[in-house]
Amino acid sequence: MNNTNRALNRSVILVTGLALLAVATLLGLLATQATLRDAWASVADRVGGTVADWLQSTPLANTRNSWIWIIVLTLLLGVVGLLLSFILRQGRGHSGHLISEQTSDWGTTQVDSTVAEQALQHALGEHPEFLSTRVSTYRVSRDAVLKVSVTCRRGTSPADVVHVVEQALLALDELLGLRIPALLQISGGFRVRTGHTTRVP
Amino acid sequence: MNSAPADRSSAPMTPIYGRISRRELHSPRSTVAIIVAVVAILICAWLGTEIVLLMIGQPALLATPTELATGVASVSTVPASLLTTIALACALIAIVLLIVAVTPGRRARHLIDSERTVTVVDDEVIASALAGRAARVGGINPDNTRVSISRRLATVHLVPTSGQPVQRDSVQQAVRDQLDGLHLRPTLQTRVVVAVGGKVGT
Repeated sequence: MNNTNRALNRSVILVTGLALLAVATLLGLLATQATLRDAWASVADRVGGTVADWLQSTPLANTRNSWIWIIVLTLLLGVVGLLLSFILRQGRGHSGHLISEQTSDWGTTQVDSTVAEQALQHALGEHPEFLSTRVSTYRVSRDAVLKVSVTCRRGTSPADVVHVVEQALLALDELLGLRIPALLQISGGFRVRTGHTTRVP
Repeated sequence: MNSAPADRSSAPMTPIYGRISRRELHSPRSTVAIIVAVVAILICAWLGTEIVLLMIGQPALLATPTELATGVASVSTVPASLLTTIALACALIAIVLLIVAVTPGRRARHLIDSERTVTVVDDEVIASALAGRAARVGGINPDNTRVSISRRLATVHLVPTSGQPVQRDSVQQAVRDQLDGLHLRPTLQTRVVVAVGGKVGT
């Protein structure tokens, strides 16, 4: 429902997994292959020497440090920034507007999503078989979509829930004069299990 | 049911509805992705701190960049058993990540065919509805019925009250009728299992 970039999520996981697998393979080969150990030692020596030379030859002003460190720091900061924005992008996509329509040449009509949310909330709140209902609005490829989450009591038939919510939505359609796409999510929350049935003789 | 809005074609909504139902039935893999990102951020932050500490001439937190580099270079001198252990641990995490990335990650939910909305229902809701129905038809305590639901199969486990036989077929019929009324997608087959041993009634 939200606009989380799922392909990106999976790519990040996939790339990390492949990188770790490569490290694991390398370590495994180093543990078993003696020739590879020697090769690793010589290559590491040469690379270490080169990097040390670079650091020597790139002094920063009049300090002992090299400006390569500054570049590395900037790169690290960039990576951290990218990852933070990646994390913060998860689960976004809520929308405050339900309808925004150019109704005349000199103005637009906007309907806030709270209109639909409160109307539905009110209509569904009267039903005792619903433990809780939550209505929110999301934007799915530029269209507003209503999400109705219903937590129902133990043993409630989902068919009844669908019927009740559809009635409420049809009433809303009537009120607004157009159909807003809607998602109905029926769940049994934690409290569903705590209800105990008593047997009446 | 009021037919005026329902008469309007629902065709323009179909692509949106397809997208929504696909996304509701599969996990976004956000948790694992966030964990991976947080670990990467922590590593980057630590490396950055070590570099800053080196530049201002303060003692390192865990290891200076130089020590780190020599450590990586001398990895071949580490005993083979330790290397193998680390390699196996890395491989294990890698395989878990690859599986998470590649598998579809279906959620325990089903779609209900309905005209006005995309409806997704948690399997536990279907299960509790079926359990209530099966208990009523079978004449046993709801606490002694257990329903497990997989993608295509609903299994009803019944523990009969001792001394009262359970009509397995009638329970099966009742459960199937109720499932037919739900219009689930994908549809569920039913299986009723009556336990051999009974339970002394309450």
